[in-house]
Amino acid sequence: MIVGLQRLLWSRFTWRHARLAPVSSLLLVTILALGVAVYFSIRLANRAAVSSFQNFTEILTAESDGQISAPAGSLPERTLGELRTAFGTAPVHLVPVLESTAARPGKPDAGESIGQRETFQILGVDLIAVQNLPTARDTDRSWFAQTDPGTHPTASTEGFWERFRDPRAVFLPQALATRNGLVPGSMLPLVINESVVDLHVAGIIPADPSRPAPPDALLVMDLPALQVLTGRTGRVDRIEFVLPEGPDRAARWAVLRAELVRLGDGRWNVGSPSDRRDSAALMTQAFRLNLTVLSLLALLVGLYLVVQALDGAVIRRREEIAVLRALGVGTDAIRRAWLAEAAVLGLAGGAVGLLLGWAGAQAAVRVVGQTVNALYYATSARAAALEPGEALVALGIAVLSSVLAGWWPARLAASTPPAQLLGRGRAGTPTAPARWTIPVSIGLLLAGLLLCLAPPLRLEGGGRISLAAYVTALFWLLAAGLLAGQLPPVAATLLRPLGHFSVPFRIALSHLRRPTGRHRLAIAGLVCAVAMTAGMAILVGSFDTTMRGWIERTFMADLYVTSDGAQSASSQNRIRAEVWHSLVGDPEVLAANVVQVVDIRLPGGGTLLVGGNPAFMRDHARIAWREEPQDARLWDPESNEGLAIASESFSERFQLHRGDPVTIPTPTGPREVRLAGIFSDYGNERGSLVVQREHFERWFEDAQATSVIVKLRDGTRADALRAGWRREHPGLAVFTNPHLRAEALRIFRQTFAITHALELIGIGVSVAGLGLSLASLLWERRSDLTVLRALGLRRGELALAAALEGVLTAAVGLFAGLATSLALGWLLIHRVNFQTFGWTLESEVPALWLAALSALVLSLAAATGWVVGRWGSTLPAETEE
Amino acid sequence: MSTSPIPLLEALEVRKSYGERVILAGVSLRIEAGERVALTGPSGSGKTTLLNLLGGVDRADSGRILFEGRETGSLGPDGLSALRRTAFGTVFQFFHLLPTLSAAENVELPLQLNGMATVDRARRVRELLERVGVSHRAEALPGEMSGGEMQRVAIARAVAHRPRLLLADEPTGNLDSRNGAVILELLREISDETRTALVLVTHSTEAAAICHREIRLRDGRVCGESSRPEKTP
Repeated sequence: MIVGLQRLLWSRFTWRHARLAPVSSLLLVTILALGVAVYFSIRLANRAAVSSFQNFTEILTAESDGQISAPAGSLPERTLGELRTAFGTAPVHLVPVLESTAARPGKPDAGESIGQRETFQILGVDLIAVQNLPTARDTDRSWFAQTDPGTHPTASTEGFWERFRDPRAVFLPQALATRNGLVPGSMLPLVINESVVDLHVAGIIPADPSRPAPPDALLVMDLPALQVLTGRTGRVDRIEFVLPEGPDRAARWAVLRAELVRLGDGRWNVGSPSDRRDSAALMTQAFRLNLTVLSLLALLVGLYLVVQALDGAVIRRREEIAVLRALGVGTDAIRRAWLAEAAVLGLAGGAVGLLLGWAGAQAAVRVVGQTVNALYYATSARAAALEPGEALVALGIAVLSSVLAGWWPARLAASTPPAQLLGRGRAGTPTAPARWTIPVSIGLLLAGLLLCLAPPLRLEGGGRISLAAYVTALFWLLAAGLLAGQLPPVAATLLRPLGHFSVPFRIALSHLRRPTGRHRLAIAGLVCAVAMTAGMAILVGSFDTTMRGWIERTFMADLYVTSDGAQSASSQNRIRAEVWHSLVGDPEVLAANVVQVVDIRLPGGGTLLVGGNPAFMRDHARIAWREEPQDARLWDPESNEGLAIASESFSERFQLHRGDPVTIPTPTGPREVRLAGIFSDYGNERGSLVVQREHFERWFEDAQATSVIVKLRDGTRADALRAGWRREHPGLAVFTNPHLRAEALRIFRQTFAITHALELIGIGVSVAGLGLSLASLLWERRSDLTVLRALGLRRGELALAAALEGVLTAAVGLFAGLATSLALGWLLIHRVNFQTFGWTLESEVPALWLAALSALVLSLAAATGWVVGRWGSTLPAETEE
Repeated sequence: MSTSPIPLLEALEVRKSYGERVILAGVSLRIEAGERVALTGPSGSGKTTLLNLLGGVDRADSGRILFEGRETGSLGPDGLSALRRTAFGTVFQFFHLLPTLSAAENVELPLQLNGMATVDRARRVRELLERVGVSHRAEALPGEMSGGEMQRVAIARAVAHRPRLLLADEPTGNLDSRNGAVILELLREISDETRTALVLVTHSTEAAAICHREIRLRDGRVCGESSRPEKTP
């Protein structure tokens, strides 16, 4: 019976209304879809950025059972011999792996830039060993016997030794070869360390249909060849273990693992193949979560729209509901019908949103990838795959939130009295805000204030999430939305004198003086969007100011030298010792800071260990100290072996301060240091620990450099010296001071590109909501419009009245939103940012940006109001015969 | 009521349909300045549609409507708006006061539309509210007034700018008999005082009785017309 009645209500009423008003139905579905699409695209892009950081050897060897790697830095190759001796003839394959990165060379006259060129991950493996793996033997894949004359005309078994001995031979994925028209025998010039190297395309990475295709950016070389090219002869990054197939494979690995732990005795870490991907996921967890939270903005604002639209529909269909009630349809049936409509709306919007989101993800993946490249690690993600799990979650969120948003209109519909039909009661009658509004708002504000004092949620791997601060933001946004509903009468009273001069103004002000629930809802939506957008702008503005100040103070040297292949935060391109020695030995060089950086893992998470020169930092950079060093030995390389300085992010992340001890894992055993000082640094969120380079070199048995920072003698022309060094070493990127400052700012600003895009979508959706509200209001007031027309108002005047009402409503939302944004800005700067990244920022309100935002919102509101007003002025009069 | 060579309002063979449904099938009538005419007839006979056409709120499919000898059909939307703004006043069955404006502001609106100075507007509003007997409710919102009070305010608004033609659609249809009688008397008095012509759509014989003439409509056509001596309702 109930089902039959619901079906009747759906088919005869809900569905017919949707069909009779296809434009408004489509608009609503589109807006909801936009919210879902933004969320979904960000989720897919995030996933793509993480999944691109995979254990590439899987593609070559199938999943290995486990691996060992150095606690910090790389393993000596002799470890391989030690393991072979230890395991004798045990049935286990050892696959040593060396990884490096490379980049396309820049155009000679283009100048250096970071993160702008295609980068590659180069995998050095023992190709003969890989080919002899059982999994490889079972297939017809072959590295050196690619005899398909159509695809690889020059590859054949005849050339085996020639290619095997070639120290520049490289194998590449079919997709990359096809995209660049490369065939075996072609040249592939790449920057590796400080050199531009012409690699020889030896063949295509053999494909195995049972495994994922190799990523576009993966190159494979024979291990010794890559060791020579990267100046890391005798080193490997990890050794992987592949056991023969069999029922007790896991048990055999457990035994082997125990043996490896015993044998290593702390010299290496034993892990699983997924460790690296997991660590990449952990590293970017906070970044991805922040982006996801931001992506929900459009959905949140979109939900206001669903409430408005369904509420408007209740008004339009009030007489119909009254008739149904008079005919005996119960309140539960009416409520269920409206909730069903909300659910279907959510389903339709969600489905369209998934399609839009998938398309959007293809664009977002590049922007997310750029940020991940700049801040975390090299990601080669170019496309985002459709993830069924994510799609289901997005669809679930769409339906659930739509039903939640439909709850109030459903209640309104169910409470429509049958007498409505007879009484012809007025729709859109002004209503006072509910009495609970102010106490609840104050309660939310206070609860938020208490919550924001809570510490962050500390994640495995060292990441931190300001969960309490996010809840605070939500509470404050809700409170601001509720309180803003009290403002229209105040604004109307203040502007009342204007009503004496213009009839459209008088009409617009009169509606604000006695606003309806729809006005308040539209204002709340705007408050939410404006507050979040402006709050983010305050954060970005503060960041920008702080970064500029930091760059100004810190980047005081004359030249900065890195490998031109260093296009991402995780670049493994280094400058060989003989090269940097020749650079710093130049007679024009007054002082130099030779910097080497390595990832290390401490209890509590990964971080960066920097070998550098504290005295140079003191003399040639104005470091902003959070905790100033008091131990004078820090500045003397002869006596500072047990001392280190740490960035503020490091201090916040590991909760360590001046005087605290830190144990650093190194290939030559753990080293104890004490923190001598804490300095401001905005280079990365994982934090960095700086020790004297000479000690670093000895601990890691590595004399290469990541970068060289140079102060020149007075009178030396930096440009001329830079040009000379570039001529001598074409693979080096040599930045002058102004150029590096500009690059640092460009990269920083690029990381906020997606933020701005999401904010604009949020604003767009909220203004669309305002338009929808105005349309509903005009529809409700169409009898008033008839009266106004009868009184002689022109169409233009009616449209102007609607536009003014839109502008004034938007202005109230804008004002409350901007006021809220100051609180949100504070929360984002001092709680979310500090707790997540550990960065102290100078507060800066970007007045010009906020003025532009205000102008945009008001203009959009005026335009929307005008269009809706023109439509409203043509609405048919309510005639009777 | 004397006739003049150019009537105040004249309709000639006016036709109007909504889709297939013919509402007016060729109606002609003539109204002199200061004359009160009742349009009567059963529901669906086309009374309100004719009133809307006469008042320039809607356009006829064919036929001509002339106001003071000028054809309203040739006026553009702005021309019609100007005519409604200056020459016409309208009273509705459901009052249709703007709900967010007070009684005084509702009455002030047509004056402001016609560009009257603020001081003059205030004086005129005061006079009008006193004239219709609701000066004590000047600041009340429509939602706070009774039906009779609202209709008085609606009449004050309709005549505020001294229109030459007052159009009233069932002005007593939503009122009890006592209030209805008061409103009809008010309309008659104002019409007499200001020599404003009145076209009154009504089902009520009491309402029709205040008019000089009654035109009866049926199925979109004039089916009868009678003149009558004025009678106080």
